[in-house]
Amino acid sequence: MEVLKEKVEEEEAAEREDAAERAERGEKMMRLMEVRKEETTMTQEMLRDLERKLSEIEVSIPEKPSTFTKDTIDISKLPLSYKSNTPKEEHLLQVADNFSRQYSLLCPDRVPLFLHPLNECEVPKFVSTTIRPTLMPYPELYNWDTCAQFVSDFLAMLPLPDPLKPPSYLYSSTTVLKHQKGNCFDFSTLLCSMLIGAGYDAYCVNGYGSQDLCHMDLTREVCPLTVKPKETVQEEEKAPPKKYAIKPPRDLSSRFEQEQEMKRQEEIKAAEEKRWRQEEERLMEVDSAKTDPLHGLRVHSWVLVLSGKREVPESFFIDPFTARSYSTQDDNFLGIESLWNHKNYWINMQDCWNCCKDLIFDLGDPVMWEYLLLGTDKPLLSPAEEEDNGANDDDDVENLGKEDEDKSFDMPNSWVEQIEISPEVFETRCPNGKKVIQYKKAKLEKWAPYLNNNGLVCRLTTYEDLECTKTLEIKEWYQNREDMLELKHINKTTGLNIDYFKPGHPQALRVHSYTSMQPEMDRVMEFYEKARVDGLIKREETPKTMTEYYQGRPDFLSYRHINFGPRVKKLVLNSAESNPRPVVERFFRNPAKPADEDVAERVFLILDERIQLRYHCREDHITASKREFLRRTEVDSKGNKIIMTPDMCISFEVEPMEHTKKLLYQYEAMMKLKNEEKLSRHQAWESELEVLEILKLREEEEEAHVLTTSIYDTKRNEKSKEYREAMERVMHEEHLRQVEAQLDYLAPFLAQLPPGEKLTRWQAVRLKDECLSDFKQRLINKANLIQARFEKETQELQKQQQWYQENQVTLTPEDEDLYLSYCSQAMFRIRILEQRLNRHKELAPLKYLALEEKLYKDPRLVELLKVFV
Amino acid sequence: MHQLCDMEPRVMDDDMLKLAVGEQGPRDEAGQLAKQEGILFKDVLSLQLDFQNILRIDNLWQFENLRKLQLDNNTIEKIEGLEKLTRLVWLDLSFNNIETIEGLDTLVNLEDLSLFNNRIAKIDSLDALVKLQVLSLGNNRIGNLMKIIYLRRFKDLRTLSLAGNPIAAAEDYRMFICAYLPDLVYLDFRRIDDHTKELAEVKHQYSTDELKHQENLMQARLEDEQARREELEEHKAAFVENLNGSFLFDSMYAEDVEGSKLASLPGVAELMETYKDKFVIICLNIFEYGLKQQEKRKAELDTFNERVQEAVQENQAQGRHRTAEFEEKHLLSLSTIRGESELTDIETKIADQREDIAELSNALMTLEMQLVEQLEETINMFERNIVDLVELFIENVQSLMAQCRDLENHHHEKLLEIAINILEKIVKGELDEDLPDDVRALFVDKDTIVNAVGASHDMHLLKIDNREDELVTRVNSWCTHLVDKIHKDEMTRNRRRVKEINQYGDHVQGELDSLECGDILD
Repeated sequence: MEVLKEKVEEEEAAEREDAAERAERGEKMMRLMEVRKEETTMTQEMLRDLERKLSEIEVSIPEKPSTFTKDTIDISKLPLSYKSNTPKEEHLLQVADNFSRQYSLLCPDRVPLFLHPLNECEVPKFVSTTIRPTLMPYPELYNWDTCAQFVSDFLAMLPLPDPLKPPSYLYSSTTVLKHQKGNCFDFSTLLCSMLIGAGYDAYCVNGYGSQDLCHMDLTREVCPLTVKPKETVQEEEKAPPKKYAIKPPRDLSSRFEQEQEMKRQEEIKAAEEKRWRQEEERLMEVDSAKTDPLHGLRVHSWVLVLSGKREVPESFFIDPFTARSYSTQDDNFLGIESLWNHKNYWINMQDCWNCCKDLIFDLGDPVMWEYLLLGTDKPLLSPAEEEDNGANDDDDVENLGKEDEDKSFDMPNSWVEQIEISPEVFETRCPNGKKVIQYKKAKLEKWAPYLNNNGLVCRLTTYEDLECTKTLEIKEWYQNREDMLELKHINKTTGLNIDYFKPGHPQALRVHSYTSMQPEMDRVMEFYEKARVDGLIKREETPKTMTEYYQGRPDFLSYRHINFGPRVKKLVLNSAESNPRPVVERFFRNPAKPADEDVAERVFLILDERIQLRYHCREDHITASKREFLRRTEVDSKGNKIIMTPDMCISFEVEPMEHTKKLLYQYEAMMKLKNEEKLSRHQAWESELEVLEILKLREEEEEAHVLTTSIYDTKRNEKSKEYREAMERVMHEEHLRQVEAQLDYLAPFLAQLPPGEKLTRWQAVRLKDECLSDFKQRLINKANLIQARFEKETQELQKQQQWYQENQVTLTPEDEDLYLSYCSQAMFRIRILEQRLNRHKELAPLKYLALEEKLYKDPRLVELLKVFV
Repeated sequence: MHQLCDMEPRVMDDDMLKLAVGEQGPRDEAGQLAKQEGILFKDVLSLQLDFQNILRIDNLWQFENLRKLQLDNNTIEKIEGLEKLTRLVWLDLSFNNIETIEGLDTLVNLEDLSLFNNRIAKIDSLDALVKLQVLSLGNNRIGNLMKIIYLRRFKDLRTLSLAGNPIAAAEDYRMFICAYLPDLVYLDFRRIDDHTKELAEVKHQYSTDELKHQENLMQARLEDEQARREELEEHKAAFVENLNGSFLFDSMYAEDVEGSKLASLPGVAELMETYKDKFVIICLNIFEYGLKQQEKRKAELDTFNERVQEAVQENQAQGRHRTAEFEEKHLLSLSTIRGESELTDIETKIADQREDIAELSNALMTLEMQLVEQLEETINMFERNIVDLVELFIENVQSLMAQCRDLENHHHEKLLEIAINILEKIVKGELDEDLPDDVRALFVDKDTIVNAVGASHDMHLLKIDNREDELVTRVNSWCTHLVDKIHKDEMTRNRRRVKEINQYGDHVQGELDSLECGDILD
């Protein structure tokens, strides 16, 4: 009896509820009634209460459309799922509405839930179904950071129509991608779809953000590109004194003095620090002066990535506008209302008084996170609690929502089409291929590759002041340049330009820093020494000197320094010989030679007629051998030319050796040095020429700025495109020819003849005649066939017409419709047949003639038929 | 063959060599200088003495650095007098009357040897020429093709000429050589093509394979030998060689006549067996302990060397830095002094520079003295440690040896007992077995047998003592040598450095002085 009563009550309750809902939602509920009846466990009082409360609540549907106006969206091309709801989706909306009502009843002080905004076709869609998990076909989009960067680059940001409310429209990613703009909800929906597709445990979050976050305002952020990577100072660990380590000599300096010195240093440091801190405080004041009156009320949407999947060690937020990741403790995120993925919807039941810092992202815990649908993959934390809930369900929100629905009910599939991004659009990235971001004291501009004809893809301008008026330095990144220029760094204060090149410059240039492109000015050129035959690493130039550094040469040359003194104009006309200037060369140790014979440094003092040599130091010595040659060519008292005298060579040898004392040895060494001096000077002269050449080349390159295209870039590489098209054309023609060639008119007739024998003339003639007559017959047959069909159709029509006229009075409207439609169809058929017949009559003789001609030209018959023609 | 009969044979005397050196020496200005100074024979790198009608090679011992020597077209009959020319790379003795290859054993660097057109009948005595690349033996009297196998040992040999010999007439000549000398590239001035090589290989495969197998066996045996020798060397370094077995025990009985006689007594065999086992175990203990100790000593020495090396390196780096700094300054001031015209200025500057030099040499000396002090301390520490180690080693070995002696004493007692028992039995006439006559001769009376057993025992003890003494002396001498060497090395290092510093100071001073003189002269 008790049970029965309950049952009745349940039914009544259900009916009442339905009635209440009908008032709002219309008759669509009818179908769901049966499902609901079984499970409602509300008491009547409760229901009445609910009814009353619900009637008070108005579901406010903001009329204001989203910022990109509706008329720009072409909804006609969108598929059906965009324009209507499936029964399952309807059911879901019911569930959501019910849930929302109960929620607002139980938490009257919370804002209404963001559950089913309208889509571009004015159809309400549940937010979770708007997420369409898609794995993008680009490897660049496999990781969250690049993915977020893409979304932030690809879409232009629109502010929310009302900064304090979630939008009333949430468009599909299809539309958003097409128009390349959207608000924060569009951003996070798209990003979330891509991240879930890539395997992350990602969620869209509806919450509250700081003003900077909501307006994508980075002017108070330091640009990540300007932040220099912190140099990791690795403190060299002092090894503990090992056995037999020698004791350091006794330190005889005064400890007191050291202490005094230290104190003084500390004082200076403290003063500096104080000043610095004051400065900092002043800046802080300036910053904090602009506090936001709407702080904590601004609605924002971002993406939460939970740890666990894809080896994410810790949960974090991604702001889809800026693509930056934040820790869940960040100050910019002021609170969370709800979050959802493609499977479920959770409401935050935790207090956000301390921003998001105390939130626990354990979605399985129903105390902290109230879920909309049961049976998702998040397990309940404590089953005991659920039992508890079941006992006193009167004041429990969650159970109402949960137990209303079928246990096995899960989120319907997304109504959104798969996200598609074409390669061209992917490459263009930003809307119109350009994007500008303003940072604190910096401006970042990005372009799509090939958009600028000089290959510029990115420019970072750093300013001295917060108002961005005084430029400090400019960094420009380039791509696909033929001269391999990668980065241009212009320092406006010093006027120093530094160009960085990728490997592959014709002169193997790596870095070129200069103040002006004029020759004989301060400049440093660095090279990829592996790409150069002479192993040059670096060449430094000042107006008066040139220094070159080498590596990996067979002659072990490491350094050459040339002092030009006042430069002579018109270098090209000057040969190396006539311009004496001191040259210093240094060498690496050549392990094949003993240290005493291995020159470490040689100085050609050409004006002094002096050559200085310094040898390498021996392994266990602290001094190195030296030798100095004086090249005086004098004549002795008898008028004979002095070839070599002992005072022409001053040498210091670490270990005096006999053979080096000989004049002959010294003479030979000097002769060799003279030759090498000439060579060195020549090389110096060549270096100068090379500098001029490089400068000329650079100027040309700057003017021409030719861009290269990869051979794999089929769209841009004109040559390969042409080639490919030509190939395709050829293939097509070839195919057509083949099809034609396969049709052999003679085959059936040849088959009648004995195989392998050569045709006689008589046979050939007969063959031709037979073939032609056969073809003629076929043409006639075809004509007859068409004729027959035509006649049959006409007869049929006449018959029908007759029948109609006879029974016209008694016919029902349906029959009449049927007759009329038949008539029109029959007439159409007759007309077509007529046309075909006429066409056949026109074409038949032509076809016959064509075949005849072809037969005359057939290689098998041509020899035999020629005689008759 | 090629003889200049009309000319009298000449002797290689000093004049001839001087003439040749002078003629082949430097030309032009350098030649004038050379003449002025004279050329030392040991500086000559290449010498040409062809068509001199030389009969006998002589007087070449001074040419230590000679690389290339041409003695072709003479009447030389015997290769001699080339022993000192160890740097020789290129030797031409073609067109002479040489009959046997000899006197080339010291020319280890020789790469190119020409003995073309001589009277050589046999290829041998070339073992020392491991770097040989080109060998010319054409127009000789070599008749045995099988002797070519001798040339297989020269791994670098690429060019060979044998044309004009009796063997070259053999029909298989080319094939045979190609097969047996597969690394050869040129034969008789013609390149061996790959096709010929393949053919030859196939043709002689059977015999070459056998040869190769033999060579491999030989190689393996040599390697084995080498390994064994190295192992022994290692054991010797640990002073415990031949203790990893019954070698000592066997040596105890090797010269012991009585012992071997007594061994044939009944019951002694078993006794011997157990004795030997125990003895060998102790020997093995000593051996292992010795190796362990050796490792320890080595590790100690290595750490010591490493630290000393580090210290010296650091000190050198400081010294170098000091000198480099000074050098820069010195050069600068020298050039300013040169440019200066005022005499008083020059003098003050020179005085300043002098001070700088003194300061530098003081600084360098201080550094050196500091290092000496530091090293001395370290060396003493090391000395103490190593001596301790050695003493410990000796002590332990001695205790182990004492165990050996105990064993020997025990054995001796047992043996004596058995011997007396047998004697008693013999006296009583109860002995069942027959003893050999020489053994029976020992059992004449008690004294004889006791003496015999005692003699054997003494002999054994002596051997053990000897071994112990040897070990102890050797390890002690090693230790003293090591310590001496370290001290000596340090001393030489110190002296060299001091000399270097002084030398450098003198040189710099000299530079300054010469400048002064020049200025005063000006």
